[in-house]
This record gives sequence, C-alpha cells and structure tokens, in this order.
Amino acid sequence: MPREIAIYGVLVPGLLPLFLGCLLLMLLVDALIGRYGLHRYVWHPPLFRLALFACLFGLAGLLLLN
Amino acid sequence: MPVASTKTGLAARRWPVLAEAFAGEGRAWLFVFKTLLALYLAAWLAMWLRLEQPATAMITVGIVMHPHTGMVQAKGFYRAIGTLCGSTFGLVLLCVFPQQRVLFLLCLSLWVALCAGGATLYRNFMAYGFVLAGYTAAIVSLPAVGNPLGVFDSALMRVSEVMLGIVVAGVVSDLVFPDRLRLVLRQSAREHFAHFIDFVRGSTGGGIPREEMEQAHLRFVRAAVQLENLRASVIFEDPEVRARSTRMRLLNQHNMAAATSFQSLHHLINRLQREGRHAEVAALIALYHPIGAALTTAPEDLHDPAVLTPRLRDCAQRLPALEAELRAGLAPGRPQLAFETGATVLRRFLDELCGYAELELALRAHVQRGGVERVHFQRGNDASGAAVAVLRTFLTMTALSAFWIASGWTFGASAMLLATIFSGLFAATPNPLASAFTMLLGYVFGMLGGIVTAFWLLPGSDGFVMLIAATLPLLIIGPWLNAHPEFGSLGGGYAIGIVYILALKNPMVYDPALALNEAIAQLAGVALAAVSFVFVPRVTGSGWQRRRQFRRLREQVVQAASAPLDGLSWRFESVSRDLFHQAIVHTRPGSRQSRELLAWALAVHESGRALIELRQQLYASPVQTDVRAAVDRAIAAVAQLYRHPDPARRQQAEDRVREAIGACAAVPALRPRLYQLLGALRDDESPLATWMSAEEPAHAT
Repeated sequence: MPREIAIYGVLVPGLLPLFLGCLLLMLLVDALIGRYGLHRYVWHPPLFRLALFACLFGLAGLLLLN
Repeated sequence: MPVASTKTGLAARRWPVLAEAFAGEGRAWLFVFKTLLALYLAAWLAMWLRLEQPATAMITVGIVMHPHTGMVQAKGFYRAIGTLCGSTFGLVLLCVFPQQRVLFLLCLSLWVALCAGGATLYRNFMAYGFVLAGYTAAIVSLPAVGNPLGVFDSALMRVSEVMLGIVVAGVVSDLVFPDRLRLVLRQSAREHFAHFIDFVRGSTGGGIPREEMEQAHLRFVRAAVQLENLRASVIFEDPEVRARSTRMRLLNQHNMAAATSFQSLHHLINRLQREGRHAEVAALIALYHPIGAALTTAPEDLHDPAVLTPRLRDCAQRLPALEAELRAGLAPGRPQLAFETGATVLRRFLDELCGYAELELALRAHVQRGGVERVHFQRGNDASGAAVAVLRTFLTMTALSAFWIASGWTFGASAMLLATIFSGLFAATPNPLASAFTMLLGYVFGMLGGIVTAFWLLPGSDGFVMLIAATLPLLIIGPWLNAHPEFGSLGGGYAIGIVYILALKNPMVYDPALALNEAIAQLAGVALAAVSFVFVPRVTGSGWQRRRQFRRLREQVVQAASAPLDGLSWRFESVSRDLFHQAIVHTRPGSRQSRELLAWALAVHESGRALIELRQQLYASPVQTDVRAAVDRAIAAVAQLYRHPDPARRQQAEDRVREAIGACAAVPALRPRLYQLLGALRDDESPLATWMSAEEPAHAT
C-alpha cells in the first residue's frame, strides 16, 4: 500500500484510510462484544477497547505500510 | 479503601467545618483533574505534532469537557460530524467568495445562525455537533480571510487541532475514572419497571381518582422521556447498550402503549362508576382481578420479569373464558356494550403488558438473541424556538460583519470568531440572558488571568513541566468553577478566556500589544452575542411557545385521525409524550396551567388512541360503504373538535359518534371502539366536560 494517496491532487497519508478502516472494524467488534456480553470478562472496558484499537491500528499500519 | 475512609473519618471528627466544606468536592476535583489532564495532553500532543496553534486544541477541550463525564463520549460522535461539516463549509465558502467580503460574511453569518438554530432544536447532545459545525466553519475561514491562497493549509491545521482536542477529551473522560452513565440507565429502567408493575397491581380495586391518575401519568411520561434521553447517550458509551438499543426502544414504546391503555380502562371504569352503573363496574373489576393476582407473587419476585411473564401469559389465556362468563351475567344492550368496550381495552392492555415484561426479561439476559421490530421515539420539536435563535444569531453576526467592514478593524476576525462560539453555546443554555452575562464576566476574569500568566508567570519558564507549573495555578480555576453548578456559566467563560489569551505556542510568542488588541476584540464579540438576547429574547419556555406546544399536543388527535396508519400508534405515543414533557417542565406544579395541560394530555391520549384503534379495526374489517362513511364522519368530527375545541363542535362530534354506533349495529368489532370514543367525549372530568349538555339522549346505544 502506498505511503501517500493522492485524492484530486491532495496528498493524504496512507494511514488515514487505515485509521478509518480500523474504526469500522472496531464498530463490528463492539457489536459482537455487546451482543454476547463479553465485557463482563474485562476489568476496564474503555481501556480494553482503546488498547484493542491501538493493536488493530498498529498491526494494520505495520503490515500494510511497512 | 479502608485507609482513606478512616482518614476522612478522623478529619471529620477533628474539623467538622472542613468536612462540611469539602462534602462533594471529591467529584469536583476529579473533574478538575480530568479536564486539566486533557488540556495539557492536548497541548503537548499538538506541540509534538507541530500543529500551528495548540491553543485551538485546548479551547476545543475546554468547550467539550463536561462535568457529566459519561456524556462526553456520546457527544464525540456528533462533534466529529459537526467539525467535518463545518470545516468543509468554511473551505467551500472561502473558495467561492475569496474577493467578495460582503457575500462571504453574509453566508458565514447565515451558516453560523443555522447551526445555532440546530443547537436549539435538538435539545440533547446533538446540540454540541451544531455548535461545533458553526465554530469550525468560522475558525477555518476567518483567520485565512487575509490570505485566501493559504486557506487549505490553514483549514487542515484547524481541523487537525479541533479533532485532536475532541479525541483527547473523549479518551481522557472515558479512560480516567469514567462516570458510567450505563449504571444510571439500568437503575432507572428497573425502577421504572418496578413502579409501573406496582401501580398496575395496586389498582385492582377499580377506580383511581383523577388526581392520582394525573400524577401517575406525569411520572410515567417523565420516566419515558428520560429513559429515551439516557438511551440515546449511552449507546455511544457502551457497546452492550448499543446491542440492546432496538429492544430498549421497543420496551419504552410498549410501556407507553400499556400506560395509555391502562388509563383508558380506568377512565372507563371511573365514568361507569360515576354514572352509577355498578353491575358493569363490578364485572370489569372482576375481569381485571386476575391481572392483579398474576402480578402478586412472593415478595422477592415482585419485580422479576422471569417470574411475572409466564404468569401474565397464563392469565391472558384464561381471560376469554372469564370474559364470556361475565358477559353472560349482564343485561344485553348498553351494559354489554360497556363491558365489551372495557374488555377490549383490557385485552389490549394485557397484551402490551406481556410484551413489556417479555422485553424486560430479554434485556436482563447477558446475551441478546434475535432481532425485534424497529421503532423510533419521535420528538415533537418546535421549530419556532430554533427560528428565533437563527434570527438572533444572524443579526449578531451581520452587525459584527458590518462593523468590521465599515471600520476596517484589524481584529474583526477575532470578534466574529468569539461571537460564533458563544452564540452556539448560549443557544443551548436554559436561561441565556443571565448566563450570557455571567459568562461574559467569567471571560473578563479569564482574560485577566491569561494576561497575568502570559506576561508574568510564563516568561523564563523552560520545558513543558515548567509550562504546566506556570499556567496551572490560574488555569485550574476554570474547571473548578465548571464543576460547581452554583457558579453557573462563569467557569465556561473563564476557561475559554484564559486559554484564548494565553495562546500557547511552540515557540511561545510574547506580544503584549497584540494580546490587548485581541482581548478587546474578543470581549466585543462575546458581549455582542450576550446583548443580542436583550433584543431577540429566547422563546423556549415562554408562554407563547407553551401555547404553541399545547396546540400541537391537541393536534396529535388530528394526526391520529388522518395520518397514514403505518407506525402511527408508536408515533402518536412518543410525540404526544415528548410535547407534553416539554410544556410541563416550564409550568409550576399544581398551577392552573399545569393542571389544564395534564387534563388535556389525558384526554388527548385517550381519544387519540381510541381513534387509532378504530381506524385500524375499520381498515381490517370488511364493512359496507355507508357504515364506513358514517365512521369516517365520526372520525373527522372528533378531529375537528380537537383542532378547534368549542361547545358546538363537541356536540357535533358526539352526535356523529352516536350515529356511527347506530350504523355499526352489524359490525360488533367496531362498536366498542366507538363507544370508548363516545365515553372520552362525554367524560365529565375531562376538559371537554365544561361544554357538555347535562341530559343524555335516549338513543344512547
């Protein structure tokens, strides 16, 4: 994946679409978590979600852009 | 925390005055800590990312941080949308009118005014989205006015700063000692369920006095609207609530429908009782009795839907046999029709109650299975308040623009920007004139604090830690004031004022002349936004708007009589409650207006629901054309009555309904609904009663 994407001549960092994609993925994960009540097994749900997002985003960035 | 509690216990014994002074301070200091953390984090990140104006990110944090920390997350979503819309609009505006200052300022004023209107119209956290849409458009376009070629870079910077501020505020308030709104939601939903079940169980004796009914109605409406407000916020905070969202909406709708049916039933029993028709009353109470018995369980299961649901289902199965038995005991004709009416309403009520208990049971399970019908809680928004806010903000902004153009003021952009922010913020406050001037005062103090910090404390400090040390003492006052509701909007003004004048940058720029000029311009902007409330006062909560809402509440019956049937009953239940709730919060409890409103609300609920049921039944059953025409005439007459209530129309509506009952002799399914409508029109405790002729004509059935 290119590091920078040109949208109508404007250079956008390749991380931006990855970020948005990860947000969408998080919505999906959240829906699953909510439906099956998995947050009961987690100490601090918001922290868990943020950490999960950081993992997803970091993984996607390292795998696709590196 | 045993250690901490012993310590506070000791302190309380030694210095009772101190303990009293610091009661409740814990939460306030927690909020102060979170806000400062978010502020400095935003500043540090903005400097680290080499953004142009870290101050913009800090101001955004100041605007969006809120003592009710659970709400911050909820608003983040709408804020992000508002920011994107606002920045796009600002960019487009500057690209379209780079050389046309009049058109540019006119369009910008209009945009900001529309955003302020939106903030007034949507009374929940969506208001923040509108505030930020206006604010970002101004913040993107105004600083670039002198240099249109640099607008894109400037827009990118501003959007990055605003977004950074939003994200930091959201993350900090979610992670650091979060205040879970979800627990409040669950608590109030369970309390509401328990209250409702108790109320239904407690009234098996039959008649409930009108007074008690009105109070119960008020309580239930309040609970329904509050639950919906909470639900709409918590879905952003918690994925579990998001997964339950559709079910919770349906739960609320079932509850509202059940409450309306319950009231209709008791109105009917009360009317029969007052008319002295004891046989019918006794039969209906006997029919009602099994429901009360089904709800009476062992004390620990009284509010447990897992126990109540099968009992209610069982009761619903046994009801038809009991109904036939009781009907056989009554004389044919009028008594049987009255009983049939009551039994129809009772069946409906029991069905809705079962649905309510089942949904509550499903919601308490850890895992949500299957899908349910999608319903919406429709709001009865009144556009008049929003229109006035649009007008006011537009006048403020055009006045400032005209002054800017005429005087060639170098700092006009700052004044415009501040007027934008505060117009949006004021539009959403409950008592804007007073809070506007408090906020102005806070702004002045904030600016003084900013000047002292920037020119006495900050110079000579080195590194980020020293920056925190130098700015903290005066910066801390803003969030502390914000955390104390008794200071009103003083804190909001202070927090924005100090951050704005401080204008932290890396490297820092010290220019006293610029700071003073900025201060004067900003003060002018805030002051004009405040003064505009003197010229165009706010209408929300005024007698005029209350009368409008009152009329719209009555017109809900017209809607029930004429709108398309699809989803109408859900819409009717929620809009009429929302309108009623909006109007009632601005009346004094027990005052004449409040009582009148309540009485009309009950009448509207009963008639509207009866009309909807009648129309659904009419749609479903095959009837002859003349019967259909008679029923349609009756429906139209009732709608006319509620559109313009007067004695002649009431009499006409009653006559038409009687004719329809006569015409429907061959259609037994329609007669109970018509009879219920007739009862609602003839209810001697409803507001329509004042116009009622005393004697009842002989051709009653």
